[in-house]
Amino acid sequence: MLLELKEKHTMRLGRSSKKELKKLIAVDSQRKKFEFPIPFTDVLKVSGKESEVVIKEDDKLGTYLLFRNKKYPVEILYKNQNRYEVLLNGVSYFFTVETPTSYKRMKFLSTKGGSKKNENLEAPMPGKIVEVLTEEGREVRAGEPLLILEAMKMQNEIQAPIAGKVRKIHVKGGQNVLKDDLMVEITAGK
Amino acid sequence: MGIKSILIANRGEIAVRIARTCKNMGIETWGIKTSNEPRAHYLSHMDKVFDLSDEYSEILVFLDVEKLMDIAAQTKVDAIHPGYGFLAENAYFAQRCINAGIKFIGPSPDAIHKMGNKTVARQIATQHEIPLAMGTTHSIRDAEEAKKVADKIGYPVIIKAASGGGGRGMRIIHKAEELAQMFRLATNEAEKAFNDPSVFIEKYIQNPKHIEFQILADSHGNTIHLGERECSIQRKHQKLLEEAPSPALTPELRKEMGDTAIRIAQAVKYESAGTVEFLLDQSNNFFFMEMNTRIQVEHPVTEMITGLDLIEQQIRIAQGEKLSLTQDQVQLKGWAIEYRINAEDVQAGFSPYLGTIEKMSLPSGTNIRIDSGIVEGDSISPNFDSMVAKLIVWGEDRQTAIKESKKALNKFWIKGLKTTIPFFRTVLENESFNCGTFTTSFIEKELDLMHESTDEEEILAAWFATLQYINEREKEATDQVDFEQGKNINPWVLNKRLKSF
Repeated sequence: MLLELKEKHTMRLGRSSKKELKKLIAVDSQRKKFEFPIPFTDVLKVSGKESEVVIKEDDKLGTYLLFRNKKYPVEILYKNQNRYEVLLNGVSYFFTVETPTSYKRMKFLSTKGGSKKNENLEAPMPGKIVEVLTEEGREVRAGEPLLILEAMKMQNEIQAPIAGKVRKIHVKGGQNVLKDDLMVEITAGK
Repeated sequence: MGIKSILIANRGEIAVRIARTCKNMGIETWGIKTSNEPRAHYLSHMDKVFDLSDEYSEILVFLDVEKLMDIAAQTKVDAIHPGYGFLAENAYFAQRCINAGIKFIGPSPDAIHKMGNKTVARQIATQHEIPLAMGTTHSIRDAEEAKKVADKIGYPVIIKAASGGGGRGMRIIHKAEELAQMFRLATNEAEKAFNDPSVFIEKYIQNPKHIEFQILADSHGNTIHLGERECSIQRKHQKLLEEAPSPALTPELRKEMGDTAIRIAQAVKYESAGTVEFLLDQSNNFFFMEMNTRIQVEHPVTEMITGLDLIEQQIRIAQGEKLSLTQDQVQLKGWAIEYRINAEDVQAGFSPYLGTIEKMSLPSGTNIRIDSGIVEGDSISPNFDSMVAKLIVWGEDRQTAIKESKKALNKFWIKGLKTTIPFFRTVLENESFNCGTFTTSFIEKELDLMHESTDEEEILAAWFATLQYINEREKEATDQVDFEQGKNINPWVLNKRLKSF
């Protein structure tokens, strides 16, 4: 899909709303926020200086951004509603794009969600489960090996990311898994 | 007798690489078209193609000795080049070629067997007083015996597959408690990968450098080395970046290690090109690790600094020629670094990234070489390794090679896939890499992040995501942008919901 930057937009919060949207906020996976004023512009302020971003489309190179005389190849690798994985210069960046209102709600919910975070362990790569080393209901330490996943001819030990209790195991020995398949659920301990 | 035709029993970039030399030497090449990748790029480099694309078989043809012998007979080739991987280090295959009167481009089956079995190789090294890390020269039966040996030589130890290579079937053990499980993992992996569960134990040398010597040996008893390659930048014992020469070696140490490498090669009456791998510890003690009896993935860095074509050397040796140069005539000129551009997600533990290359734009120049078996539109499939290309950069000295590498990596654009390029960018900025003190623990010890990313880049990415969001919302509601669509709820309801969390 070809992206274009149209003439500066004025936007409203919603169909019924008369209030104008002042900004959009891109929030990264570490909750770092990047605010962009609406009307959205192609002028970015980086390290105290303003410069223009130009989106270029090239038959050989594909889409890239031209910023301060440097070229940055860019593409959207994944999107789902307001979530984006942007591949820029070979590196993935994960953002959710929020309005000021949805940002407030997100922040509120995440503080409510709280410190006791449970973990859903997903397959980091496609492969085959060689052996399950734990069982449901067992208390595990962080770093304790849970199962062995064979991928690209290597046997990889998959470890518990947090201390807690194994709530559910979704795989068994000999089974093939795809990337991001749910393997083990852990309930966070004290 | 001169070789007039060669069957290339391999695929990908190495098949292309072998075909290139054959073309220069006026040798006819045969490639094999498989059902796995009937439109593979390497086939376009072959003079003739043996078509197996209609045949579906359990076992890949490049691993199928009987099938390859049959193809060789049908195509009436003079020789077979196995490349690397697959049957390149299979003594039985080499013997079958000889029996059929076809030249196997590589060493004798005897040399392959002796060096291929790591415990036999250790015995030979011991007999010839080659320095070795402490350990066993026989395979270990069970975890109990492993524990006895480990207690004797002291932790940390490393368990290795006797038939291993390429970093597979290896486990490091720091504490006695880990031994039983690691022993099981290593034997499992060895059995799977090499059809041989036997393993042996060695003292684990901490923070070593991986230094290997390129050997050339003819059938007239001449053996020389072409200097070293340093391959310390590895993850999970798999090489990612190799350079020649090594910043760690003095001319004296180079001579000592090179002479040792030659002695090992001579001990098995080695013929052809081969590689002797050493570990170099922090006090400059070196230990023989293994000999690879094939052409290596990283052979181009040696070619760049010696001006030799190693595939040509292999072919000339196979047809009985004497080496065209003596040890004194070997000159190492400048510095070369190779980057393995793999389809891997360095932000997710280097896991394979499967996908299709939508666009690829490569750097070019007199000091840049790219070996690749992949073109735009090709896919990285789970059937084969994840290599997209090898980028090799030459400079007058190391500093220049690094500087030129940065430029080249910035011009290496791939769309549709994640690759190891951002990893190399951060390596090139790293201080211990730049001063040459890095070891095989580089990734664990020196890097916090596996990729390079500037503030500027992150802001640009955020800007692009936001723009994408705006464009999509505009498409959804052409008359008016509705950011809160579906989210407009009565404040009372909202309040109640939030409280329930």
